[in-house]
Amino acid sequence: MIETHGLTKSFKTDSSEVVAVNNVDFEVKPGEFILILGRSGSGKSTLLAMLAGLIRPTAGIVKIHGNEIGDLSEDKAAEVRAKEIGFVFQFSGLIPTITALENVMLPTLFYPDGPGSRSRAVELLRKVGLSERENAYPSTLSSGEMKRVAIARALINNPPILIADEPTGDLDVDTEIEIMELFSELNREGTTIVTVTHNPDLIPYATRIYGMVRGNLVRDPESFCFRTWKAEPGIPAGKE
Amino acid sequence: MSTSHEFGFFRLLVRNLANHPYRNIATIFAFACIAATLFSSQFLMNGATASLDRGISRMGADILVVPEEYVAAGQTVILSGQPSSFFFEDTNYDKISSIHGVEKASPQIYIATLFASCCAAPLQMIAIDPENDFTIAPWLKENPGVKLGKDDMIIGSAVIQNVGNDLFFYGHTFHVVGILGQTGMGVDNSVFIRFEDAYVMAEESELKAVKKLIIPPEMVSSVLVKVDPGASPADVAREIQDQVPGTKTITPNGLLNTVSGQLGAVRRLLQGTTLAVTIVSIPLLACISAMVAHERRKDFAILRSIGAKKTYVISLLFAESFSIAVIGGLIGIGASAVILVLFQDFIASSLNIPFIIPSPLAILVNGITALILCTVIGGIASLYPAIQISRSDSYETIRKGES
Repeated sequence: MIETHGLTKSFKTDSSEVVAVNNVDFEVKPGEFILILGRSGSGKSTLLAMLAGLIRPTAGIVKIHGNEIGDLSEDKAAEVRAKEIGFVFQFSGLIPTITALENVMLPTLFYPDGPGSRSRAVELLRKVGLSERENAYPSTLSSGEMKRVAIARALINNPPILIADEPTGDLDVDTEIEIMELFSELNREGTTIVTVTHNPDLIPYATRIYGMVRGNLVRDPESFCFRTWKAEPGIPAGKE
Repeated sequence: MSTSHEFGFFRLLVRNLANHPYRNIATIFAFACIAATLFSSQFLMNGATASLDRGISRMGADILVVPEEYVAAGQTVILSGQPSSFFFEDTNYDKISSIHGVEKASPQIYIATLFASCCAAPLQMIAIDPENDFTIAPWLKENPGVKLGKDDMIIGSAVIQNVGNDLFFYGHTFHVVGILGQTGMGVDNSVFIRFEDAYVMAEESELKAVKKLIIPPEMVSSVLVKVDPGASPADVAREIQDQVPGTKTITPNGLLNTVSGQLGAVRRLLQGTTLAVTIVSIPLLACISAMVAHERRKDFAILRSIGAKKTYVISLLFAESFSIAVIGGLIGIGASAVILVLFQDFIASSLNIPFIIPSPLAILVNGITALILCTVIGGIASLYPAIQISRSDSYETIRKGES
């Protein structure tokens, strides 16, 4: 479903070149729930952005359903995102001028022939527990509610892939559990999920776990001490 | 297939516009000023030109012959109807009639009225020969029921009287039988009577009026000339001046040149104002547009990230800008049209130009032109933000916006 080969992204700064993602070979099969665990600044968000075609790799390729997304024009990549990928940002990423329901319906504007509809948006809001908040504007929603609206929006076009960047970041424990239960339910219904997080408490929800350390994807769970990764020498704690 | 029926591009546009009402109202006001300036200047110029065209066609003649020292007065009679009296010998009429190229000639006598009970100011009274005249002949032809008979009077549109009213000039009673259409020129402030009645009025005035009216015998004020088909009015005018000493000719082209001189100053003023408003407003609107785009770059990046094509996002930005431009433009055009119509006399007299309301087609073209200019300015103002947005890295913008 998703494949990467030699995926690399480096950023040039004034004095040096920083390799954010280094030579990642990676495959996601349909129906998987992939969790990529890593510290802030480890390159996991950059990896996700490349998977979604939001940024172009410096080297290597990303294939979705066998089609290389890095070769596509920006508009073609946007079309793939509208049809194939639901993207949940670290923060809500809602448009403040429109209501929760309209935010959920937003991707239908970019895929008018897709399965998205007003009734589906209403249904998705019900599914994420926000049926009473359809007409609320983002500024009146809590962080957890905004995150749930963003998830509903990511699902409106019924994409086979859901990509989530820190879906439980800045949420309280109860909301975190609610969100992850929702992800599990979606995964059971057939949605392939790739999510990155710095929170090891999410490990139980995933079907496969990777680690991300200094731009390198660590494949062998045995070599990556998830429960003690905060103590990994040489990587400072705290946010990027 | 299923699509969202109640939420689409337009709704998104409206919601975005409604989000910053004060800023958008300020921008709309700027566009309204641009549109009002452009529309007003075009409206005034068209009104002046239309007035001139109609006035000259009402004059009905190709050449007006006046005493040589009264050219300016003759032009004033035609353009503004400011009362004036002057004369030359009516033998000139016979001479003019016999000149090669003259098809028809018709004399007129100009009489400045005294203050009359009908009117706030003295009027230009023009005595004509209804059989030969072609000043009001076209109008009479359009109104076949009206005849200029004994003691009858046809009045210009600015003389506030009704058909059937009696008016008193120099103690003589005239009966209003017709009202001419508006021209915005001198004819609006003039009244037309027959030669015979003018002479009777002059005779009676010694006894009936506070001031005696003198119409010198065998004298006329002007001779209107229609040239033969194919003849050049300029050549015939030159011929008249050569063959009839003491006369000068006024042609529609000459009148146009005179008025164009007056209009030129007004035109330059109006065009300068339009240019200044436009030049000042473009950078101002570009700044506002750039500020809006900068503030909303994260929103645009989110749209791109969830599947919007670049063209969609840029269309949204331009649509917002065009909507504001069109709303502002319509308000500016509407407001200026109302003001111009309500205060047309005051504005025209202040600018010293002949003026009538332009034709609906001309108004429509003016309005569309002003609207197009507004949208072009809106488009130019949105160009830089659009380029910035199209070049921005969506994911990086979102990441920066999150931190």
